[in-house]
Amino acid sequence: MRPLTRYLDSAGRRLPESSRFDQSAVVLALLSGLIAFLVVSPMFWLLWQAGTVDPVRAYGLLVSSQTASVTLNSLVLMGIVTACSILLGVPLAVLTTRTDLPYPRFWTVVAALPLVIPSYIGAIAFVAMFGSGGEIDSLLGVTIPRIDGLRGAAFVITLYTYPYVFLTTRAALLSMDSSLVDAARTLNHGRLGAFRRVTLPQIRPGIAAGALLAAMYAVSDFGTPAFMQVSVFTSTIYWEFRGFAVEYAALLALQLIAIVAVILVIEAGIGRDEDASGGTGRGTTIRLGFWKWPAMGSIAALGVLTLVVPVAIFTRWLLVSQGDPIPSLEFQWEFAYNSVYLALLAALAAVSFALPVAYYSGRYNSLLSRVFERATYLGFAVPGVVIGLALVFLGTRTLPSLYRQGVWLLVFAYVVRFLPQAVGTVRSSVLQIDARTVEAASTLNAGRLETFRRVTLPLIAPGVVVGAALVFLTTMKELPMTLMLQPAGMDTLVIIIWGAQNALAYRFAAIPALLLILISGLSMLLLLRQEGYDVS
Amino acid sequence: MANDTRRRFLVTTGVAASGFAGLAGCLGGSDDGNGNPSSIADAEPLGSPVDSSAVSWDDLGDLEGEVTIYSGRTREQIDPVFVELDERYENLDLNLFHDDNDVYVNQILQEGDATPADLMYSQDPGALGELERNDALQALPQDVVDAVPESYRDPDGYWTGVTGRVRSIIYHTERWADLGYDADDLPTNIFEYATDERFQDIISTRPNSGTFRGFIQAMVELEGEEATREWVRGMVTDQNVQLFSGGSNQAAAIDLGGDGDPIVGLGNSYYAARILDEDPDAPIDVAFTENDPGCLFSVAGVGVMNEVDDPELVAEFVRHLLAAEGQEFMMDANGEYPVVEGIDYVGDLPNLEDINPPSFDLSSFDMDLREAQDLLNEEGMTV
Repeated sequence: MRPLTRYLDSAGRRLPESSRFDQSAVVLALLSGLIAFLVVSPMFWLLWQAGTVDPVRAYGLLVSSQTASVTLNSLVLMGIVTACSILLGVPLAVLTTRTDLPYPRFWTVVAALPLVIPSYIGAIAFVAMFGSGGEIDSLLGVTIPRIDGLRGAAFVITLYTYPYVFLTTRAALLSMDSSLVDAARTLNHGRLGAFRRVTLPQIRPGIAAGALLAAMYAVSDFGTPAFMQVSVFTSTIYWEFRGFAVEYAALLALQLIAIVAVILVIEAGIGRDEDASGGTGRGTTIRLGFWKWPAMGSIAALGVLTLVVPVAIFTRWLLVSQGDPIPSLEFQWEFAYNSVYLALLAALAAVSFALPVAYYSGRYNSLLSRVFERATYLGFAVPGVVIGLALVFLGTRTLPSLYRQGVWLLVFAYVVRFLPQAVGTVRSSVLQIDARTVEAASTLNAGRLETFRRVTLPLIAPGVVVGAALVFLTTMKELPMTLMLQPAGMDTLVIIIWGAQNALAYRFAAIPALLLILISGLSMLLLLRQEGYDVS
Repeated sequence: MANDTRRRFLVTTGVAASGFAGLAGCLGGSDDGNGNPSSIADAEPLGSPVDSSAVSWDDLGDLEGEVTIYSGRTREQIDPVFVELDERYENLDLNLFHDDNDVYVNQILQEGDATPADLMYSQDPGALGELERNDALQALPQDVVDAVPESYRDPDGYWTGVTGRVRSIIYHTERWADLGYDADDLPTNIFEYATDERFQDIISTRPNSGTFRGFIQAMVELEGEEATREWVRGMVTDQNVQLFSGGSNQAAAIDLGGDGDPIVGLGNSYYAARILDEDPDAPIDVAFTENDPGCLFSVAGVGVMNEVDDPELVAEFVRHLLAAEGQEFMMDANGEYPVVEGIDYVGDLPNLEDINPPSFDLSSFDMDLREAQDLLNEEGMTV
């Protein structure tokens, strides 16, 4: 077995600066250490809570058959979602970047857009659509088997998380030097051979980064497994929670974190930092010929399934339903404003937190920098309701007079949960900076800060924007922490969707859901435009 | 323009009225010297006290100020009465938060005295009992306690039920008829639902709700633990019961009526009422068992947090919920039952006397919730 440190410290390239001790490294280390501590702090509450469980009972819970089956379900769900996300995301990324597929921009948007739809909205739609008595059955008289259980949850979560892999793989493909592929081809490698031997190793970190996000989303999602009636960690944690047994919920959450920690270490081994910088040669594109039709057909079919179906079902509910008015669910523009406001704040805060951590870990590759960087990922895997409760406790103990006054605690909660999305993208753009450019700035007598501001920052700007956009998108969708930490009267689109679903008055969910998709869709366009920097 | 003037007029008179009330409060005298009683039990009624007859809102004091409410009840259940109060009292500001009942219990316990909530409006008595056991609630005023029968409130007056509802059998009328049965063929004994082979593979419930746990606790109290275990075991192993994690999902599945969907479900009657409200032609109806936990009468109610900014206002707010109009709005809009004896039930559901729920003291939900949870865990009824 390889020693742990080799997984964590197996980075390829080191920049010259990293080898010598300097002041800015210390400042950066302290800063990212502080940020890592801040975002991990809710976990201390978990430890403290779990510590109050009677050891015999704790042991019994950990080794119970229920825990075993829950762990198995969670791992299987995570495995299927990750594998399927790669199988969908990577080919789509290759299709939209490396081939002569007509209208590549359009198909890129179609393939990326499912990320903006909360998976539980997809779940609501799919449950309503399939099965006998479902929308398809009553409209067409054709019965498609019901989607539920583990398979159903894996299916729905995959459909709405594969864009993570698609987007990160795309970015890696766009920034790699594809003239290498041509070189391989001239050396008589076949297309597949060239892909496996040349392209794959270069885009592997990109795939791994996206796969990690998909895996962690799958394991922390509550709504979809609950809707599909499958027992996973999130639902079991919630079940204990409902019995007012917070300490047991905390114990289970820690167990989940332990599993995730193992995955993070394994991923650190796979997603090694290959040198993805260098030339920007476009290389030749693959000519699809006849195959462009099936290719476009498949993306279109995927788009219909993930986008058109939920939108159609919500629109139908909007049109056909009748019933008593529910005043507090009536649509107001304020809901949309609140959603956007919170998501913007969260994106801004997450990016400012991500910059030092990502820069430190990208520039100075040490065990310490990797540990800090990995630590920021933990919150992404913990169910929102657990983070929410931890912050309720910490918030009331640290700043009671400001608790639920304003949005600071809620925004911090979003940062704890969604920071890895920003850290990941910023870090990969830091890795792509050519060290010589920075050195050149130094030889021209620019100070460190000036170099950072005038050289480094513009170079990593695309990564920063993509990270901010991802945090924006996921914050727009987030529900449990928003419910627990919202200031009075600050209802958002998802809160109204949840309220409508709870009241079985789906008609009130329609406008907020459609608007959520529209706003997130626009920010997705911004995210994809940003790729322009990478390409040209 | 005319409208604008009118609004300004209303605001001015509103402010004047509240200033006057404040002055009256200072002159009143029954407080700690700062014009504020320290607890709601010490707060004198601003108008008449409530009692078990139908006291009208007209007899109560005005509501002026800010009340923050954690609501475990869903919006459509609670909106009618809040909207009514909001419209009636110009200077009343209701801060409403909605989330799951059980989330709020945990949240309040973590928040401690820093909780911004003045009161918790709970879906079921179990959550209020849990708050009381953790010393998160303060005693209610004596007139409020006396207005509600003892079986619908905490014996020491730390929480009170506000409205009631009954556990029921929800079923898909057409598919039940397809099987060759009518409404009378549904058993009136809850135990038969765990043994009758007709219900195999077509029955459902929602084991993670507070009401279901209350149902299990009531069954343990009324029928003994062994009988309860046997019932749960029968439902899980013999009947292959379909388990839902949400009452709405369950009712929606029954309403859907597809091949794999449950035809019959155990749940609160208002879930069916909601579906019928959205679609009056929905093939869904309710039936009731007789004098057993299957038709347990339970309450939704309120408890007041230890620290509140304005005890007089919060006490008066609770009085409004128990006065005639408060009870009637919840009956009309929600299909719930009143808890105050002087108010007659007028609604679509059968009268409580006709349903014949078991006599059960809701405050005996004090039983350790963990036990109900463990029993369900051990017998494998978990989602």
